Amino acid sequence: MIRKNAIKIISETVGKNSIISTNGYTSRDLFEHADKLSNFYMIGSMGLSSSIGLGVALKNPKKFVYIFDGDGSILMNLGSLTTIGSLQPKNLIHIIFDNSSHESTGGQPTNSKKIQIENIAESVNYNVFKTNNENELRKILKKTQKRSGPIMILVKIQNSKYVSKRVGYSPPLIRKRFMSSLKTKS
Amino acid sequence: MKESIQRKIFNFLLEHNIENFIGVPDSTMKYFIDQGLKKKKILIATREDEAIGIAAGMSLSDSSSLVFMQNAGFANSISTITSLVQLYNIPLIFLIGWRGYLESDAPEHIKIGKIQPDLLNSLDLRSKVMTNENWNECCKWAVRKIKNNSSCTLIIRRISDD
Repeated sequence: MIRKNAIKIISETVGKNSIISTNGYTSRDLFEHADKLSNFYMIGSMGLSSSIGLGVALKNPKKFVYIFDGDGSILMNLGSLTTIGSLQPKNLIHIIFDNSSHESTGGQPTNSKKIQIENIAESVNYNVFKTNNENELRKILKKTQKRSGPIMILVKIQNSKYVSKRVGYSPPLIRKRFMSSLKTKS
Repeated sequence: MKESIQRKIFNFLLEHNIENFIGVPDSTMKYFIDQGLKKKKILIATREDEAIGIAAGMSLSDSSSLVFMQNAGFANSISTITSLVQLYNIPLIFLIGWRGYLESDAPEHIKIGKIQPDLLNSLDLRSKVMTNENWNECCKWAVRKIKNNSSCTLIIRRISDD
């Protein structure tokens, strides 16, 4: 499975709920394949998608908040897992696209093959799912509709030669679009 | 700064629609934080950049937020300020404890204390240094700033050795 296909599958489930997506290729794939008002595309501040997502989740308990994170990105902000695990937001779904590399900067390795991110998440009270194929991902997404968060879905992906275009909106426009989406019901 | 003034600052900001107080503790403002803890309004983050991220998410939800930290944590936060808060124009109030204001402070605070005003200037982050006398007008200024959707900084100095 490559990231853009995983993103297409997940975006179908998300509907009008919010997505906070990490910088680099993740936001680019989301922009190219499933652009919506309710997507907050990060440009810069790597590592903070889970923190921004936590802030949105705490203030919007009637919406589901999906965090699109990477292995490199979550390893930069592991403290965030402990904060989320302590606060137990029921509407937070944290997706890690794990390719064991910093793909956007040239594919340099991360340590995610040598450690178990899913075990870290379990020990801080997440409900954890893990998959490396598209059919199973669809089944997990169905299950998570009935489970309460915080939920982590660790999606093992392969790197791809395909590179999506850059996010075409200015950051202030991304903010305005996203803020307007929060005012509508999911 | 006096204990009673720090508690008043917290109460004033809460009464003026600052809804979220997120940060990493600093002894310079311990009574401010304690007042917030008593009112169950404080969220302690693991790092200052994490705190800014959470506050940004709340601000995107139309809920005004303050991020508190020591100036050591302010140094940790510079990239988050430039590439999230300022890039997206997300309004936040920063409350920063000024360690190293006195040259007699512990050695790890001296350098950052010295360059703090220049750092704030370089970031174009407007700031006011609060005292026991001027705190009320400083807080009014910060509340006005956030209502006008701009970020600003309030500073509490460490002015005695303990």
